[in-house]
Amino acid sequence: MLRESSQRNGTLESLNLHGAVDDSDSGVSQHSLLIAFTEAAVRQTDALSALRKRITSELGRQELVDAAGVVANFQRMVRIADGCGIPLDDFTKDASADWREDLGLHQFASAANTA
Amino acid sequence: MAFEYTDVDLPIRPKTIAAQRDSWERIARPGRWWTGAERVEIVRVQRAARDFLPATSGRLPEAAVFAIQKLVVDNANLDRDFYDATIAADGMSEDRYVELVAVVVHTLSIDEFHRALGLPLEPLPQPIDGAPMQQRPLQAQQRDSWPPIVPRSGLPTTDQAYYGPWEWGANVISALSLIPENVGWLHDLSEGHYLSFAEMRMPDPLRSLSRSQIELIAARVSVLNECFY
Repeated sequence: MLRESSQRNGTLESLNLHGAVDDSDSGVSQHSLLIAFTEAAVRQTDALSALRKRITSELGRQELVDAAGVVANFQRMVRIADGCGIPLDDFTKDASADWREDLGLHQFASAANTA
Repeated sequence: MAFEYTDVDLPIRPKTIAAQRDSWERIARPGRWWTGAERVEIVRVQRAARDFLPATSGRLPEAAVFAIQKLVVDNANLDRDFYDATIAADGMSEDRYVELVAVVVHTLSIDEFHRALGLPLEPLPQPIDGAPMQQRPLQAQQRDSWPPIVPRSGLPTTDQAYYGPWEWGANVISALSLIPENVGWLHDLSEGHYLSFAEMRMPDPLRSLSRSQIELIAARVSVLNECFY
């Protein structure tokens, strides 16, 4: 939705809201519900209202608030990283070397700034 | 008072409310390089960009408006050329860029919290009169990120612990430190929405969600934004 809106607006070339990582289950409790909520919150889709109700009923009201907080925090952190062109920290670079390629993270445009 | 949440039937944490109120007070005050009115205008343009509304501003340089739009809806495609062009544009500088980024990302974060919960956005604060300080910390150095950053010794004493045991701190924590007050702001809103820097080192920081659930959400936001870092 955001991408389509952006293209209609004509001012920005891309929103890059597709992910390179697949949707296989992580084994985390309520994986699918939390992923669906996160995607709806970031993309601001019509599904968000129903997903709020599902999180409230299946997890709880505090869980909904805390999930919203995590989304909010990382909408900030990714823009700090992208906006300042920060490199990977040495400890992250070493620890993630084996799986960055597997996850396809090098496909991200921001990899050119950060690696 | 801002962020009353009076008609909201949700358990908003007191630290969340405190951090959001503090953020509103920060943006209303004159900064180091922008006036309070300009900082509030940055937030207005940020909101327009998120809603895909055309944004113009008689108060901000054209390059600032474009930078806000890029940060909000095209952040994955920011690159060194964009940064260099922005800081060289009329009315801009490295320092003004860093302060602008801080205002954009912190207020966007608060707005995203409201959007995720289906709440109306908080009205913008009334700007406080006064001139920007216009003072760059003497300790600022060019390191590996685009803007210069400031070591522990250049931070307010109360914020120096946020760098952990390191002189320069983790890259994302020091990224906006050319305005040293940003490090404490980064921490406080992190604590309000996610975890404090100390809690980040805990395997189970006692939130309603498990640490695995928290990091699943965090990772998904990063993927959706194609954030390599």
